[in-house]
Amino acid sequence: MKRWATILGRGGTTLIAISLALLLVSLIPQIQMMSSEGSGRLPPGGMQILFYQQNLNPQQELEVAVTADGPLTVYLLEINIELEFSPNTGFVQRFNETDLQQILQENRDLIIWEDTVENGDYKRSYTPTRIMNATAVLYNQLDSESVYVEHDVALKSSLAPGDKVRTIAYFAVPIGVILMIPWLVNMWKERKQSQTPSAIL
Amino acid sequence: MGKGKPFLEVLASAIHEDFRFPFLELFAFLYTLGTFALANFTVGVYSQMATNEAVAYAVTTSLISFSLLIFLILVFKNIAYGLGNELEKGIIQTYFSYPLKRRAILTAKLLSGIGFSLLLFLGIQISAFYILAPDIVLPQFGTIVLTYAASLSYPLFLSAIILLLALKLRRGGIGLVVGFILYIAMSIVSGLVLIVATATKSPLVLQIMSFISPNYALQYHYGGLATVPELSLPWTPTLYEATLYVVGSYVIVAALFILGYTYFSRRLNL
Repeated sequence: MKRWATILGRGGTTLIAISLALLLVSLIPQIQMMSSEGSGRLPPGGMQILFYQQNLNPQQELEVAVTADGPLTVYLLEINIELEFSPNTGFVQRFNETDLQQILQENRDLIIWEDTVENGDYKRSYTPTRIMNATAVLYNQLDSESVYVEHDVALKSSLAPGDKVRTIAYFAVPIGVILMIPWLVNMWKERKQSQTPSAIL
Repeated sequence: MGKGKPFLEVLASAIHEDFRFPFLELFAFLYTLGTFALANFTVGVYSQMATNEAVAYAVTTSLISFSLLIFLILVFKNIAYGLGNELEKGIIQTYFSYPLKRRAILTAKLLSGIGFSLLLFLGIQISAFYILAPDIVLPQFGTIVLTYAASLSYPLFLSAIILLLALKLRRGGIGLVVGFILYIAMSIVSGLVLIVATATKSPLVLQIMSFISPNYALQYHYGGLATVPELSLPWTPTLYEATLYVVGSYVIVAALFILGYTYFSRRLNL
């Protein structure tokens, strides 16, 4: 019984030590790697690319905030946008409404988000679970009216996804404390027993 | 009484000695912190042509780097210092009163000193990797296992040498010092091997070194060093060849441990 209490107790203290390390990791602040803001009117059937990056990794978090005065759709797609150089216009993104429609109809597995923004604010963040391409797109449906949009996109880098790590630590600490209790009680009893004879003497 | 119970008694006693409070907690904390602090998911993406396997290899290597050093420190503490001290002070003789063969006693000591440390290392590492990138861990599990096997071969080689030193020297303090000197010397040799290979443009020394540290073979297989022009060599081992180097290195490690067992069972006069 005493041995089991020791094994569980040490398991508990180890769990607490791991949780403290996880909490410490989650407290290390994120570094903002990129941020872009913009506003404008999006016509019916119009599309705007908010963000694109090759190799978005699990230590990065993409934050998208959109304010619109009408309905529109925010897509996060698992695609890479290629740039095409033209002497007149410079680099141009090779992705247009037709490409988006093709993905929506034929390659729906490339869609990570498909969120509708009704008149108001929209905010969402994404941390990938592998290294992947990511492109955030705003799209105004053909049958709707022109919409005024304000957007704010940020890419942050951290050691680990803070929320996930913190949640694990919050669950692990109480489990560790519960496992520790019998061990601590045993230790306290042993100390008390060893102190009693000397107190009498 | 069967043989299982005395063995478990010795194992429990060894674990109790090797991981006195708060050593286990401290090392678990360092493993966790080191794994997250040095994880680098950008390492595998410099090359546009990087395969999923190469990315998994690069990410795993970045996760392992610091924790391997902590693992080695733990092995130094448990084997060079711990076992060395027990031999020096004659504590190990008390285990001979158990109805166990010497090799079973050494197995219990090694399971505690190396096995338990390895379990802690792998448990924390793979859990952390899964928390960070589950979609890399599951599809590339084979690559990740091979990378761990290749990366752990060299520390286990050093552990076997440290065990032999501890058995030969029978002193805790000096075993620890010699172990650290050996580690530094081996690190210098590893650096020199790379310089010699690139200077002579011949992979021969790297191929020999790959039997001790098969991570070189795996690194060249996945093209990790080929992206650095100064370190590129006419050597691209296939996966089969890289796996053979890993197997070969474990044969050497096993031979060294068998030597340790033989010495402890037959030649060590206690």
